[in-house]
Amino acid sequence: MESLENAIEVRHLRKAFGTLKAVDGIDFELKQGEFLTVFGPNGAGKTTLIKILSGLTQPSSGTAKVAGFDVAEGHPEMRKEIGVISHSTALYADLTPLENLMFFARMHGLEQPEDKALKVIGEVGLSPRRNDRVRTFSRGMLQRLSIARAILHDPAILFLDEPFTGLDLHAANVLKEHLQRLHDSSRTILMTTHDISCGLEMCDKVALQVQGKFAFLENISDVDKDRFESMYFDAVRDNQFAMGISL
Amino acid sequence: MNLYLNQIAAIVWKDFVTELKTRELLSAMFIFALLVILIFIFSINLSIVKASEVGPGILWVAFLFAGTIGLNRSFMLEKENGCLMGLMLVPADRTAIYFGKLISNLIFLSIMELFILPLFMIFFNIDLLSHLGPLLVVVFLGTLGFCALGTLLSSLSSNLKTREIMLPILLYPLLIPIIIGAVRMTGQILDGTELFDMMKWIGLTASFDIIYIGVSIMTIDHILEE
Repeated sequence: MESLENAIEVRHLRKAFGTLKAVDGIDFELKQGEFLTVFGPNGAGKTTLIKILSGLTQPSSGTAKVAGFDVAEGHPEMRKEIGVISHSTALYADLTPLENLMFFARMHGLEQPEDKALKVIGEVGLSPRRNDRVRTFSRGMLQRLSIARAILHDPAILFLDEPFTGLDLHAANVLKEHLQRLHDSSRTILMTTHDISCGLEMCDKVALQVQGKFAFLENISDVDKDRFESMYFDAVRDNQFAMGISL
Repeated sequence: MNLYLNQIAAIVWKDFVTELKTRELLSAMFIFALLVILIFIFSINLSIVKASEVGPGILWVAFLFAGTIGLNRSFMLEKENGCLMGLMLVPADRTAIYFGKLISNLIFLSIMELFILPLFMIFFNIDLLSHLGPLLVVVFLGTLGFCALGTLLSSLSSNLKTREIMLPILLYPLLIPIIIGAVRMTGQILDGTELFDMMKWIGLTASFDIIYIGVSIMTIDHILEE
């Protein structure tokens, strides 16, 4: 990626599904190497925000630039610069990790796809299982393989949508270490999560998304973590009341 | 261009490796096509009806119904675990994804057809060997049109809850010109007509093949978008 001041630049971003405003006027920017964690109750529009930024869905209005590319243009070059880890693993269950990653390496046009695949499989600690079918993997192993898929082409920007969901404590710690290494290698990371301790520990900036808006966005150094935690729980509780779910 | 072709080849390779491991698609299509032919062979009295008159229709019904199973499965494979999203995130033109799936479907269907044709020949007591060349041309033209449109519509219907029902409802009416052409040409070939004597039908079927591929290239971007 060219040296850009802002790796991600979002202005007045909106996405509506009929009358539902999933993303409602979000503004922020992330410099190269920064890590933003976005918290928010279910239905706040966090996944939609990631889908827009990764070019999977079009915004209704506003602009978003990722690695200097306007996401609305769907430029293939932009997809070389991003890696996405979402709720679903995007891995073929009947293929092995090696076959899966070789396939994605070829789709990315990487040279020596097998070597690249073996290298990232090693990085996420799955070398002993590289020839087993993905179908037989635990949730934690799938998530690690999902990271391998996302970093295979060495992207400068990573979008992580609730990567800790469904992981036990050990798997979550392993994943956290991986993410820390990725952050240390000066990748720009935008992560959504409900895990307060992990989310706050790793990030440079923190945001709270409520009903499609960023209700809070600060540098982590300026944030009182206890106060943020109570604000987050209030937002979740209010959201549940608004949705008619009793606590 | 090289990357584009490599991406198409990668999709075909991935579908083949998956099929080699699971053997779900080819076996299901083959058994279904065989069952269709068996049902018809027991319900038709071939001493009254001429096999070369009813045979082409039955053969193409078997190909279409079995092929629909294959098409449904084809994009379901991509929907499992969000693999289609993974494909959408690679720096590939959407048409490369379409052509990769189209070629995979075409090859799988052709393999199934190559297994069904000898059985059709035995059950209907029709000599296909003397017309094998022209017959393969007709089967290819019909199958290409079926796969071209079917791949597009299966990518569309894969997002629907009622995809198994919606695919044939969308697909079959649009396939009518190709089916008419393929059945007529198959019948004429079995009656001994030469291929160059039915250029009208070949032209019609080939034209629809090209139209369906063209429409797919123009629309696949929007269909694959969420």
